[in-house]
Amino acid sequence: MREGGLTDHAERNRQAWAKEAASYVANAERSWATEEITWGMLGVPERELGMLGDVAGRDVVELGCGTAYVSAWLARRGARVVGVDLTREQLDTARRLQDQHGLSFPLIEASAEAVPLPDESFDLVVSEYGASIWCDPDLWVAEAARLLRPGGELVFLVNGTLLMLTAPDVDPVVPVGVELLRPYFGMRRFEWVDEIGVDFHLGYGDWIRVLGSHGFEVERLVELRNPGRDSGRYGFFTAEWAERWPAEEMWKARKT
Amino acid sequence: MSSDSLHNRAAWDRLSAEYQDRHRDFIGQPEPRWGMWQLPESELGVLGDVAGKDVLELGCGAAQWSILLAGQGARVVGLDNSERQLEHARSLMEAAGVDFPLVHASAEEVPLPDASFDVVFCDHGGMTFGDPYRTVPEAARLLRPGGLFAFSHNSPLSMICWDEEADAEVTRLVEPYFGMHRFEGPADEPVAFNLPYGEWIRLFREHGFRVDGLIEIRPPEGAESTYRSAGDTGWARSWPMEEIWRCVKAG
Repeated sequence: MREGGLTDHAERNRQAWAKEAASYVANAERSWATEEITWGMLGVPERELGMLGDVAGRDVVELGCGTAYVSAWLARRGARVVGVDLTREQLDTARRLQDQHGLSFPLIEASAEAVPLPDESFDLVVSEYGASIWCDPDLWVAEAARLLRPGGELVFLVNGTLLMLTAPDVDPVVPVGVELLRPYFGMRRFEWVDEIGVDFHLGYGDWIRVLGSHGFEVERLVELRNPGRDSGRYGFFTAEWAERWPAEEMWKARKT
Repeated sequence: MSSDSLHNRAAWDRLSAEYQDRHRDFIGQPEPRWGMWQLPESELGVLGDVAGKDVLELGCGAAQWSILLAGQGARVVGLDNSERQLEHARSLMEAAGVDFPLVHASAEEVPLPDASFDVVFCDHGGMTFGDPYRTVPEAARLLRPGGLFAFSHNSPLSMICWDEEADAEVTRLVEPYFGMHRFEGPADEPVAFNLPYGEWIRLFREHGFRVDGLIEIRPPEGAESTYRSAGDTGWARSWPMEEIWRCVKAG
């Protein structure tokens, strides 16, 4: 971390998302207009998974909220939500959709690696393809632990580990195949051809270690499956691939 | 006994002599070591100090591990589903001048009382050749609160990268991951079991375990093995072929 500033990868991700924000507006509008909570590109309904339980009256922070549609879903269910994102352009979309939907909750422009919110002020930290893949795991999980009250929950969604081993590094994106294209040992920081952004992915043992080292107890690992669904406009995986191997994973852990 | 336990009992009775001949020197070392590349427990620190603890080895084979832990002051019990394997255990125990109970039973149905152990463990044993839906509840039943459940096995990734024709793990996904549970090879081979990572965690939690760690084994460069070829070891340098779960029973 540079003094008083962002880590180098956070700065790169801020730039990347500033450029990408416009292409996420349509998606944001669609998600904000949807009532049901669904997870990931596979769109698995929360009512099938029960990752969150009843959020009414709980203090929730979404780390890397982007256009804040997950926050919106939780706010409508009575949660006191705060959305945190590093990219002003994404938060601009979120603010416009707040006005449009008559829904108001705080949006904070900050990195999830250094969140300007007090210790032990939340019951739930959630991240869907937010801090969970765009921040350094040790930095953002430490922040999640700091922000949570004892007994608080952390729920986050990441790309499937097997997907990260098999994803071709080409631009434009082609769907993942079956060849193991990179080693599992040492996987952590990913930089892709022609991409400014930096993303982070850990193996199973490393997630368990990182969560444990920051005072979390692992409660669940749900490997998402939704027959017939592919990654939609993103083009990362086919429905056939995702029926056989986990394209997306959700972890749930509790601060002890 | 489940039909798979009966099948695996017969298979291991048949395989035992050849298995012990082939691996005797490699796994008969003077300090506890884990798995296919025999990495030292002193480096991995899975079991820690066992002195004075009640320890059950869940699939002890010729009891190489149990003999060493008995030497460290543990009160050990060795369980194996194969009587032939236990015969090897008896001769190694006699040679080492140690004595402890050996139990001839499947890890799926252990004829020992509830809450009688501080450590239940195996190194590629009952947690590979027993059905986890039966063995995990047994481990939970046998352990005292705060007890340690640790086992090594082949990784789920190695199971889905296994290519029948190559008779080895290959660098591509061959089998589906979702729904993995029971792996049946040729008729005379033991049936093996494994689960997706999320399902292991769900099963551990369901039976009152806290997941303490998952050690994914990366063999050192050029590591020797009587179980695996140099090519296999090369694969295992890039992807986890073998791993050790470490769980603690809620206190």
